[in-house]
Amino acid sequence: MPAAIEVRQLSKDFGSVRAVDDLSFEVVSGRVTGFLGPNGSGKTTTLRILLGLVSASSGTATFGGRPYAQLGDPVRHVGAVLEATSFHPSRRAEDHLKAVAIGAGIPISRVDQTLELVGLGDVARRRVGKFSMGMRQRLQLATALLGDPEILILDEPSNGLDPQGIQWLRTFIRHQASLGHAVLVSSHLLSEMEETVDDVVIVSHGRLVLQTTLAELAGRAGTRTGLRIRSPELPRLIALLDAIPVAYRQVAHDVLAIDGASPEWFGPFAAQHQIVLYELVNERGSLEEVFLSLTHGFDATDPRLAGGEAAPAGYAPVGPGPVQMPGGAT
Amino acid sequence: MIAIIRSEWLKMRTTAVPWVLTGIALVINGLLILVYFVNHGSGGGGGGGGGGGGPDAGTFGVPDYPHTTQQLRNLLGSGFTGYLLALLLGVLCITTEFRHKTVTTTLLVTPRRAQFVAGKLITSAILGALLAVIMLVATLLGGGLTLTAQGGSFTDLLRQVPAVAPGMILVFALFAILGVGIGSLLTNQVAAIIVVLGWFIIVESILVGLVNSAEKWVPTGAATAASNLTRGMGSRFGLFPWWQGGLLILGYGLFFAVVGSLVLTQRDIT
Repeated sequence: MPAAIEVRQLSKDFGSVRAVDDLSFEVVSGRVTGFLGPNGSGKTTTLRILLGLVSASSGTATFGGRPYAQLGDPVRHVGAVLEATSFHPSRRAEDHLKAVAIGAGIPISRVDQTLELVGLGDVARRRVGKFSMGMRQRLQLATALLGDPEILILDEPSNGLDPQGIQWLRTFIRHQASLGHAVLVSSHLLSEMEETVDDVVIVSHGRLVLQTTLAELAGRAGTRTGLRIRSPELPRLIALLDAIPVAYRQVAHDVLAIDGASPEWFGPFAAQHQIVLYELVNERGSLEEVFLSLTHGFDATDPRLAGGEAAPAGYAPVGPGPVQMPGGAT
Repeated sequence: MIAIIRSEWLKMRTTAVPWVLTGIALVINGLLILVYFVNHGSGGGGGGGGGGGGPDAGTFGVPDYPHTTQQLRNLLGSGFTGYLLALLLGVLCITTEFRHKTVTTTLLVTPRRAQFVAGKLITSAILGALLAVIMLVATLLGGGLTLTAQGGSFTDLLRQVPAVAPGMILVFALFAILGVGIGSLLTNQVAAIIVVLGWFIIVESILVGLVNSAEKWVPTGAATAASNLTRGMGSRFGLFPWWQGGLLILGYGLFFAVVGSLVLTQRDIT
């Protein structure tokens, strides 16, 4: 069975910036594929190239072997929810959908159906300018579903949705996959996608880090251990940790995660240096941590992590944690 | 292509732009009709009572009658300046998509960029032509009523329709096309409007003032030629015949549209 979506050696340069770098992956029907990576890792650019909105510098991005512009009736095959898409504020929700339906040759009756489907039936005649973020997101989804496509591309679809909306979206995405449709859904948070995806495509700096199944990724997570420490003396602790070969990650202004460390080692270490601790949690590695270490925890939009303290030396490669633990058994 | 045009039509209809522009055009049209009657109205009542029939057609063309054929044509063409609003209609038809970021959705439905621009060109041309028809009907009603009230002949005014309407409809449609062409090249709405208004209000008059022979080449000169009306500012000498003027505007419009779609094809919609 041919892949529903095929990305082959795709690259895109914006001026001197390489947004997508020799990226290849596949998405198959009947499964939900999570397209994961930190903000600024090239996910949106890749999706926009797929949809013919952005031109590729090299490589191909196709649906069943054909580029988007050559699909004939693209809206009937591929539905897309993209960021930075908007609506004309003075147009009514149903008119927005009607314009798409007419343009794509879809029966007008689908407009009411899809509005009901995404829960916007009551506001069909309201102007989109009065819509909340969540309602706009639902209207985007309605637009994508109008042509009853067998391939869905969703770029950060849970942005702006409330918790019930996110739950609804998960159920919806799973349902689409159960119908045999291919779903490619991007997110910068794996935790958000854990319950939804079957496969993962992880990218960082525009490059493919890993394409695998969620099950395989979860297997990796199980082998990882670490500590989560909350302390008012984090700067001093960091200075101490920098002197020894140990991988750590600052999670919040007063929270530090230390990969591979055990309480039996850290407890005495903290006592020896008289560091005040508010919290010490022994953690089994989560998927999110595997994801972060795979993508080097680098978030281009996060000044804290992009700063000097996130020196690559502070991170352990994927694997069974730090090499040695001075004075402690691991 | 018909589906795209119907979709574009719905999109235009569901925004305020065409309604506001039509409203502005009607107000200007009304004012110009008023100006016409202020200038020509005094002698018009000579025919006597307010009888609907007025003087018979035979009186028409008699030297002391205030409304000559040319004057009636100018009256009927009162809405002609609305072609600038048809131009804006074309500009807004395409730049609104970029301003409100609806272009992503539109291009997902119509991924071929040339087709996208072509849809806008045709829809705007239809809307432009429609605007001309609305102006003509409004003038026939407003101007015709006033004329009749003053003892003139409505039939005489109606008789000028074949002479005035085709040129006017043509010019409106062509300027809407020109607007889409400019908008496809200059997708920033504010910039496009400033450039368009700057050209027609400032640059063109300076240009014609410096080089008189440029008048027949600039869009306003071409429009005046194509309209078959003598209304229009500046000298009426040396303008092209109406069909050449029309072709010139069409040429300008298609030039911008072709360059615009080529540029748009290369453009990343992010």
